[in-house]
Amino acid sequence: MSDLAHRSPLQSAALIDPRALLSVRSLELRARLVVEGFWKGLHRSPYHGFSVEFTEYRQYSPGDDPRYLDWRVYARSDRYFIKKFEDETNLRCHLLVDQSRSMSFGSAGYTKGQYAATLAATLAYFLHLQGDATGLLTFDEAVREYLPARHRAGHLRQLMLALEKPAGGRSTDLTEPVGRLTTLVRKRGLVAYLSDFLAPIERLETSLLALTACGHEVTVFQVLDPAELTLPFDQAAMFEDLESAERVYIDPAAARADYVPKIEAHCAAVRASCQKLGIGYHRISTAQPLELALFEFLQERRRRGPGRPVAGKGRR
Amino acid sequence: MNFLAPFFLVGALAVIGPVIFHLVRRSTRERTIFSSVMFLPPTRSRLTHRSRLEHWLLLLLRCVALGLLAIGFARPFWRKAPAAGEPASAVRRLVVLVDVSASMRRAGLWDEAKSRAEAILRAAGPGDEAALYLFSRQARPLISFEEWKAAPAGERGALVATRLAASAPGWLDDRLGDALITAAEALADTDAEKKFGGARQIFLVSDLKAGSRLDSLQAYEWPKTIALQVEALPARHPTNAGLQLVAEAADADRLAAPAIRVRVRNAATSTREQFRVGWAGPAGAALGAPIDVYVPPGQSRVVAVPALGNPADMRELVLSGDDEDFDNTVFVVPTQKQHWSVLYFGTEAADDSRRPRFFLERALPDNPHLAVRLVACAPAALIPPAQLQEAKLAFVTDPLGAATAAQLRGAMLAGQTVCFAPTGAAADGTLGALLNLPGLTLVDAQPADYAMFGEIDFQHPLFAPFADPHYSDFTKIHIWKYRRLSAATIPGARVLARFDGGDPAVMEVRVGQGRLLLLLTGWNPDDSQLAVSSKFVPMVSALLEQAGGSTDAPAQFAVGEAIPLDRSGGEEGPATVREPDGTTIGLPAGATGFTGALQPGIYLMTSGTRSTRVAVNVAASESRTEPLAADELERYGAPGPQAPADPAANARRQALLQDSEVESRQKLWRWLLGATLGVLLLESALAGWTTRGRGATVTPRSTPT
Repeated sequence: MSDLAHRSPLQSAALIDPRALLSVRSLELRARLVVEGFWKGLHRSPYHGFSVEFTEYRQYSPGDDPRYLDWRVYARSDRYFIKKFEDETNLRCHLLVDQSRSMSFGSAGYTKGQYAATLAATLAYFLHLQGDATGLLTFDEAVREYLPARHRAGHLRQLMLALEKPAGGRSTDLTEPVGRLTTLVRKRGLVAYLSDFLAPIERLETSLLALTACGHEVTVFQVLDPAELTLPFDQAAMFEDLESAERVYIDPAAARADYVPKIEAHCAAVRASCQKLGIGYHRISTAQPLELALFEFLQERRRRGPGRPVAGKGRR
Repeated sequence: MNFLAPFFLVGALAVIGPVIFHLVRRSTRERTIFSSVMFLPPTRSRLTHRSRLEHWLLLLLRCVALGLLAIGFARPFWRKAPAAGEPASAVRRLVVLVDVSASMRRAGLWDEAKSRAEAILRAAGPGDEAALYLFSRQARPLISFEEWKAAPAGERGALVATRLAASAPGWLDDRLGDALITAAEALADTDAEKKFGGARQIFLVSDLKAGSRLDSLQAYEWPKTIALQVEALPARHPTNAGLQLVAEAADADRLAAPAIRVRVRNAATSTREQFRVGWAGPAGAALGAPIDVYVPPGQSRVVAVPALGNPADMRELVLSGDDEDFDNTVFVVPTQKQHWSVLYFGTEAADDSRRPRFFLERALPDNPHLAVRLVACAPAALIPPAQLQEAKLAFVTDPLGAATAAQLRGAMLAGQTVCFAPTGAAADGTLGALLNLPGLTLVDAQPADYAMFGEIDFQHPLFAPFADPHYSDFTKIHIWKYRRLSAATIPGARVLARFDGGDPAVMEVRVGQGRLLLLLTGWNPDDSQLAVSSKFVPMVSALLEQAGGSTDAPAQFAVGEAIPLDRSGGEEGPATVREPDGTTIGLPAGATGFTGALQPGIYLMTSGTRSTRVAVNVAASESRTEPLAADELERYGAPGPQAPADPAANARRQALLQDSEVESRQKLWRWLLGATLGVLLLESALAGWTTRGRGATVTPRSTPT
């Protein structure tokens, strides 16, 4: 995880303990809690108006439909402004969420899958409030569900339902869903890729390149359990792979010295691939509050898109 | 400690199971679910050779539970030394049942039975208690337990021989089921049950023929501790055919020549099929020509033997051609058709279907045994005294002349029965004359709609046939007209039925020796529907029976059955019975039947002036002499016939029985089972505690979904 969280203005705000948050049954409620808590924290901070893309009015230019002219603004200011509707948006965001069996591991009382789903739901809810279109693609060894990016009533609910489905699948294919997304989504937009990336990553870079080549702006969230990074077990036991059901006899005390560098190297490889392609990479620990992840995401958006309009205030 | 079922102790070897499981347990490891093992280097498993068992307390508890269970199943008990009062060797209590039914009259069977019974009783030990019973229709003790005990041990054999020599098979049929129950109850009824334990036996000495009646055993629960040993006596001659009288066919009177029907039954074991049936005279000489009968073994044929010219000769029918003659004779009392007459005082023509005579004439019986003739008399004319005396009954429907009424009254006083059913109130003078009550008045009554019979005395013989609720519905008989008469005006009148309005309908008045039956409505269609109802013919029959005796065919009886006395004449005095051998037995006043018919033959029953000849024959079941099927006794709930066992096996069985009794009294297995449950509870608690203790150390938690 980056050290950004330590500098976060959210530090002073009351962050929600992920354990308490994930004990809430409804995914939608969880997302709402995070986003609303986030807004509250935001108002007390100097970082106003974080937004992905936001406009209320646009100056009229010839060729625009005169139906959308706001005549009251014209009466007040004597200028032509086009009124933007709630369902009209410029940004299309696609959430790529890993639902493989390895995501069903968790040592803190909840699984990585639940955490990733909450994070995805939080992003979707945030974007929905902004009036942006959000789509979803869940996968394990194959694409499981695809919801095209939309901003309309009921879409968010459908999205939440798809996210709530339990993890399945026996392996993770990191390239197939990306390839599928490039064929399905022609318009460029934002892609948030949520996975533990605990799979061979030889072709990951190629597939991410395909995404960026399509003009998509990509952000990668590597969601990992703290136990996966430190291997805190103390008893020798048969370790069973959640995906392949392979059993290996492991003495954690002996294996730890070997394991920790390996997993760190793997994460570093993922990060390197992302950096090479100019893709935002965030390693998220499931013990970390979700607001921080959201904050990191928006921070990065702000850093990356200085030319883009950033609204000074959010619409709720 | 002893065991009733020691082979169950082998089950204790099952303790090997827990030991193995505890040893196997060493190599099992904890399982941890992990997201991916791709970065985990496999650790070489180190073999840990530990010689001691883990959780030895649990293992011990499990072994103890299994051991206790095995011991419990082996049924342990403490064998006690025999108490001073108990007899050292097994004492038996036994009943020897000897068959004395008619079928035991077959050649050689009785001698064989005597020798078998004597042999059984001779084999009885000095301490044994025994009784000897003879049975046919009923079982009766020939030597009771008390007599046996009272006799010195050395003289018991002689006692048995003497008593048996004085006995012989009778003519009765056997009820084997009842006899076995009597014997079993004699063995079970005393407190000997405790004393003798299981050593109680019934020895059955019988020819065990198929005709033995066992049905009463079905309702009896045979005591488990009573054993039955059967000494079946083999018949010397296989061929036996029996002869039985068959009821006359309903159309007997239509046969060309009068005949007596008999059934010839051939036993299944017979080797011959050809027999002859013919009449026999008093000295056994054949009368008339015998007829040949072909009956295959196991089948029966009914043959009609032509009647003899002189009915007095028809006494015995004899079958010849088989080996055993105890059931070859049937005694016959030929039925003779009786001719009765009834007088009818009325003016109408015989074919006037509106008047009473028409219906009465058709209701009178006419069957092979009895023909009743209606003699129409003019109401005003005098009747010849002989005719009046001969008539069983007189019906009066029209007013009589004074002389005729006086004549009828005289007959009534002498014992005649008169049925007076006036068709109009004008007959009240006649009624007054018959009853000698001049002031009597009858009033014609015509109900608004119709009247019905209301209150009926079903105790009276006239209505007794309708006493059953199936037949007691008189409401379908509508009465259009009747004659009203107050019962109070006739002293001594008994009202047998009333109309629904309360007026008397049928009354009976005793007049001297005879009686007057007063029917206050006619049966003719103008008065009522009585004649066309189903009650009319039975009522006329009941009237005739009351006046003249039974109208049924004479019944036949088997030896031992109760023969009812014909008391229809009203005699209550002492009666006599002359047996076939000429002895005369007196029956006390009020006796209704004779139960002492113990030999076949023709009995003459005399009651007052009435004499009846009754034929008594050997029961048909005695002729079924083929052996009883081997499993028949078991089928009826009695233990199956047992072969005599050798003494060593007997002693072993006895010891086993005693052991099982001691074991069932001590019931140590219950305690062992309770202890097993306790140990298992302890084991569960310990196992739970151990598992919880270990489970607490497992970290961190993994949540597979």
